Amino acid sequence: MGALSAAEVSYIEGGIAQNLRSDGRGRLDFRNISIVTGVIPQASGSARCKVGGTDVMVSVKAELGSPPKGRPTHGGMMIKIECSPTAAPEFEGRGGEELSLELTRGLERSFLGGPNGSGAAIDLSSLRIVDGKTCWVLCIDGLVLSSDGNLLDALSIAIKAALTNTGLPKVEIVAGETGDEDPEFEVDDEESSQLDISNVPIIITLTKVGKHYFVDATAEEELQMKSAVSVAVNRKGVICGVTKRGGDGLDPSVIIDMISVAQQIALTYIPALDLQIAAAESVDPDS
Amino acid sequence: MTTEYVSPEGLRLDGRRPHEMRHMHAVVGVVPSADGSALFHMGNTKVMAVVYGPHEVSNRTHQLHDRALVRCEYSMATFSTGERRRRGKTDRRSTELSLVIGQTMEAAIMTHLLPRTQIDIYVQVLQADGGTRAACINAASIALADAGIPMRDLVVSCAAGYLNSTPLLDLNYQEDSGGGPDLVVGYFPKLEKLSLLQMDSKVPIETFEKVLELATEGAKAVATFMREKLLENTKTLASARGHLKL
Amino acid sequence: MSGPHLDADHELRIAKAQRLLRDAAGGMHSRAFVNVGDVIPVDHEAGYLRGHGTQPVKEELLATVCGVVERVNKLVSVRPLRARYNAETGDVVVGRVTEVGGNRWKVDVNSRKDAELLLAAVNLPGGIQRRRTAIDELNMRDLYVENDLISAEVQSLHQDGSLHLHTRSLKYGKLRNGQLVRVAPYLIKRLKQHFHQLKDLGVDLILGCNGFIWISAASPGNKDNLPGSVATSASAVVGESPLQFEVRERICRLANSVRVLGALGLLISPDSIMQTYEASLLWEVPVKDMLSADFYVKLAEKEAEQRMKR
Repeated sequence: MGALSAAEVSYIEGGIAQNLRSDGRGRLDFRNISIVTGVIPQASGSARCKVGGTDVMVSVKAELGSPPKGRPTHGGMMIKIECSPTAAPEFEGRGGEELSLELTRGLERSFLGGPNGSGAAIDLSSLRIVDGKTCWVLCIDGLVLSSDGNLLDALSIAIKAALTNTGLPKVEIVAGETGDEDPEFEVDDEESSQLDISNVPIIITLTKVGKHYFVDATAEEELQMKSAVSVAVNRKGVICGVTKRGGDGLDPSVIIDMISVAQQIALTYIPALDLQIAAAESVDPDS
Repeated sequence: MTTEYVSPEGLRLDGRRPHEMRHMHAVVGVVPSADGSALFHMGNTKVMAVVYGPHEVSNRTHQLHDRALVRCEYSMATFSTGERRRRGKTDRRSTELSLVIGQTMEAAIMTHLLPRTQIDIYVQVLQADGGTRAACINAASIALADAGIPMRDLVVSCAAGYLNSTPLLDLNYQEDSGGGPDLVVGYFPKLEKLSLLQMDSKVPIETFEKVLELATEGAKAVATFMREKLLENTKTLASARGHLKL
Repeated sequence: MSGPHLDADHELRIAKAQRLLRDAAGGMHSRAFVNVGDVIPVDHEAGYLRGHGTQPVKEELLATVCGVVERVNKLVSVRPLRARYNAETGDVVVGRVTEVGGNRWKVDVNSRKDAELLLAAVNLPGGIQRRRTAIDELNMRDLYVENDLISAEVQSLHQDGSLHLHTRSLKYGKLRNGQLVRVAPYLIKRLKQHFHQLKDLGVDLILGCNGFIWISAASPGNKDNLPGSVATSASAVVGESPLQFEVRERICRLANSVRVLGALGLLISPDSIMQTYEASLLWEVPVKDMLSADFYVKLAEKEAEQRMKR
């Protein structure tokens, strides 16, 4: 997928203005979204999400680690995204690095919360094991398998689904809970607890072309993206992160308007997505 | 205490017999937007291969006047192994595997029929449970066939080892880590020739011969499975389209 | 080009439809399908010529690709299905300009090499026949620039796999006011006509043999808007009257018809496209829902039913 001709750009812009995009969608329509959870058996939680031709996979691995400095009662969360060369030849070798980094940062901003851990997608204190010494660290790894636009939104949905699917193994502290000793644990894989995902956001990316905004851009539509604003919104309508991407400068009032529109869209879609994730969870996983 | 890889009754850790392969699963054309693609599972080892090409050479200076340029990249997902892989994409193992798989596939492709073009093969490991090399080669073979790229023969691959004095076919990760030899073959089933042979660790020659024979038998089983899948795919595509003059 | 996500129920229905299609094609001799490395049955006595997709090994003829065996007189070849575009002289193609300069344009037509369009092979403004000058070379960008989509005809093929195009007819040239849909080339049947004017709908259709399909608003009889006219790049954007919503909707519905046909692997012709278009209207499927699993499966079932009747 290279670039488009001036004529194609003009046609696409016309379609957006007339609320009839190249595949028949309106500006606020998403493509078909499919969610499957539990796709990676060796992970603590996982999900695969397809939005149209975009296909991403997320794994959550709960590992034992140390609490962040200065926050002994908190656990940790980290996100890393990689783009598979199978998604596009441009991702070969180091080609996908820039995009991977951009996606990682955008997701970190929305899911990891502020420097003091507040506003994180998962209440970090729910990950504590032994204050000041040991905690759970949720390692979230995402892989882009196929790219047809709107990677950030797709990844956020996959992360939410994977976190819903995540089971934290039961930990029994065998020794060394107090004092200077290193604690010893017995980790029980059979028994696990679910995470509280009520605050986990999803990201809605709005692309601005002319004086219109639209959601869920295809790779073709992204090619001539003038500017886009990605907003992370959770079930309660709380904004968890904002990123403005794309060259053109935007008037601050426009950005505020876009954030508000994204928030409304999110509130409309989150209940349906939550139902879809729940449905995916209730399916018996095959091998 | 040494692990018992083969029980006195002749059962392996996962219940298989020594000459038994794991269950195979393949899908042809998983990524329709690519020229060729495939999914290949051998037990819990799951690999995806995507082929782009033949197409114009992206870097003109690399163009070969008399044959196609074949490039291959092997990637392993961070979550593909039990322990999260923390190494970068360009670690030595990935580089070596990219080279080995690329060379194995190149030996099969009739590159002289496609001068001044480029063929890109991308292999992505989604889940690794031993035998990733073999699964990658098998997936790449199917993807190349899906792309309609002319080949001398399919390349099929299988691994075998030797533990508890028994040759074992298609080792899983646990068995792979057992310290015994690990032998991978790349095999042309019709031409009945070996295109790849890799083995680590020292073995007496008699053992080597037994393990090699076992791996080759395994490769032949893969060939039967692969041809079945490809034929089914060809029939489905041809019958959907219809109107083919014969 | 990829199909919709199918749930378990849809998967079952599609599998059934595919089986029916395979059965309907039962007349096809099973020996017509081969894999890489399979022996192709030939009459050694009568003699044969080996064509594409085959290689001699010892006394046998082996297939080098997966596909269908074709026998034309004594020529035996294997035709792969999903493969890059294999050009033939006279083919109508739609392509994207990738390079400009040095008296030729390079055009991507989804073949193994980019096609070439020589300056000598286009119609210049101010008359058809005249010698190309250095000024013409400098002004190549006035005609076609990088990323422009053009329709053209395959003029010639060369031993080394390169192919040359020409646009020496008013019907060829830069494409506007529409959208491109890409399908696998093997789904396009070579017919006498590849330019289709759907007058009732006010839409033009170009079925490129290379799998690039262009669907656009009908060009009015006016010379300035003919695809082959040598309007400059600038005028491609300026002076465009906005596309009417109804026309855009029809273009969209046709485009989605092509997409679904492509995803199902069905033959793409003006007839099949119109049948799909009309089915979508009959079943009252909104344009955007044409890419859903429901329509995809329903169409497959309808096709299977029709084939069984034949």
